[in-house]
Formats: sequence, structure tokens, C-alpha cells
Amino acid sequence: MSDSDDRLKALFALDLPPAQDGFFSTEVMAALACRRFRQDMAAVTLWSLAGALALALLGPVVVPALQAMATGLAPVALEIGATMLLLGWTTGVLKPDLSLRT
Amino acid sequence: MTPVAFDDGRRPPQDFAGLVERHQQALRAFLRRTCGDWALADDLAQDTFLTAWDRLDRLAPEANVRAWLCGIGYNKALTALRSARRSRAREAAYQEVAPMAGAPAPEDRLALERAMASLPVEQRAAVALCLAADFSHAEAATILALPLGTLKSHVTRGRARLLQILEDKI
Repeated sequence: MSDSDDRLKALFALDLPPAQDGFFSTEVMAALACRRFRQDMAAVTLWSLAGALALALLGPVVVPALQAMATGLAPVALEIGATMLLLGWTTGVLKPDLSLRT
Repeated sequence: MTPVAFDDGRRPPQDFAGLVERHQQALRAFLRRTCGDWALADDLAQDTFLTAWDRLDRLAPEANVRAWLCGIGYNKALTALRSARRSRAREAAYQEVAPMAGAPAPEDRLALERAMASLPVEQRAAVALCLAADFSHAEAATILALPLGTLKSHVTRGRARLLQILEDKI
């Protein structure tokens, strides 16, 4: 490197920003946090709207199907529950107050 | 230059804070010399880091991060300088070389700023990368998206012009 280049480099070095600049770094990270927050909010809003739209569209089909299924499954669920209870009492896994024996 | 590798999934902000801390000086210095406006340069540097965050996934593990950041910053500087909203006022201000807030103001520095102001923006950027910073010609050509020969020509002409002006003024 020539003397001229050294001289230029020395002149350029006069206006170097500080090597450690906490204020600038903090500003960048704060702006980044704001951006991420906005992106997260936009994503949540989008997904919520999509979910609401899906429910509105599928509701008329899904709700009657669930109701029909629930009507058919209720006696079976009751029988399964009663059987588990009986088994629990007879095998001693359950205490009389329905808590688990440890 | 520091290679950096991030997870494919979550990108830990603390790593990015370290990246900002490591490269802010070089990026801001380059943008200050290219724009001539310290406030605008710092805005652009901040904007560059935000863009870099969005593009981290595209950064190759062995990439030269500093060069990559300077490339993003240079494109932002060109956009800012060319935009009708900003360029006229800021270029005029740069040509006048008014003292900048917060900047040291020795005679030599002002003379250098005047000299830099007289260069076209591509020459300024080439000089800022190759003479003021330690980028090779090849790295600078990549950053500025210029052919290597053009870059070398910009550096040579810019250097000669700077020295000529400085000889007269210092």
C-alpha cells in the first residue's frame, strides 16, 4: 500500500462510527422486535379469520353430524364409563371416594 | 469476515444482536461514505439489518456476512438516493457538504468529504469499500454488482480524483 493510500485510509478513519454502539444496536433490535410483533399479530389475525371462515362454512355440515354422532355414542360412552368404574372398584384401583389408590 | 450459521427453524435474536454488534461499524461507515448523510446512512443501516433478518435463511453458511450486508445496504442507498422524494434534497445537501450533526469536523475530514462529494455514487462506494475498508476488488465487485474491471476502474479513478482534490486543499 502506498503512502497516498495510507493517508487516505487515515483520513477515512477519522469519521468511523464507534466499534461498539449500544444505542444503535438497541435501536435495531427494538425495530426488529416491533416488526416481529407486527408479523405475529398479522399471522394470528389471518389464522383467526381463516378459522372463523372455515367454521362458518363447515358449521352447517359438521354440527348436525356431530349431534347425530353424539346421540349414537352417548349410551356406549355411558356403558364404558360404568364398566371402568366397576372394574376399578373390584380390582381395588379406585377408593370408595373415586380417588386413585397410590 | 465472520461466517455465521443459523438454525433452520428458530433464529435466536441474541445471535442476531451479536451480528449487529460485529458489523454495524463497517456497514455504517460504508453507508456514510456512500450517502454522505450520516442520519440517512444510519437509517439505511438499520433498515439493512431488518432486511438481513428476513433473508437470513438464504445466507450460505460460509458466506461473507459483512459483504452481504454491504450489498443489501448499497441497494438501499441507491434506492434512497435515486428516489424522487429524497435524492434531490440530500444530494444537494451532500454537494454543499454542510457540517453534519454529531460528526467530528477537522479540516482534513471536511476536505475528504468535499472530495468524496465530487465523485459519482458508484465511485464513492468503490472507494469506500476498497480504500476506506479492507474489501478486495473481487468482494467489492460482488457487493456493488459490477464487473471486476469496472470496479477497478472506479477505484483507480476515484483514488486519483480524491488525491488530486486533497493535494489542492490540504
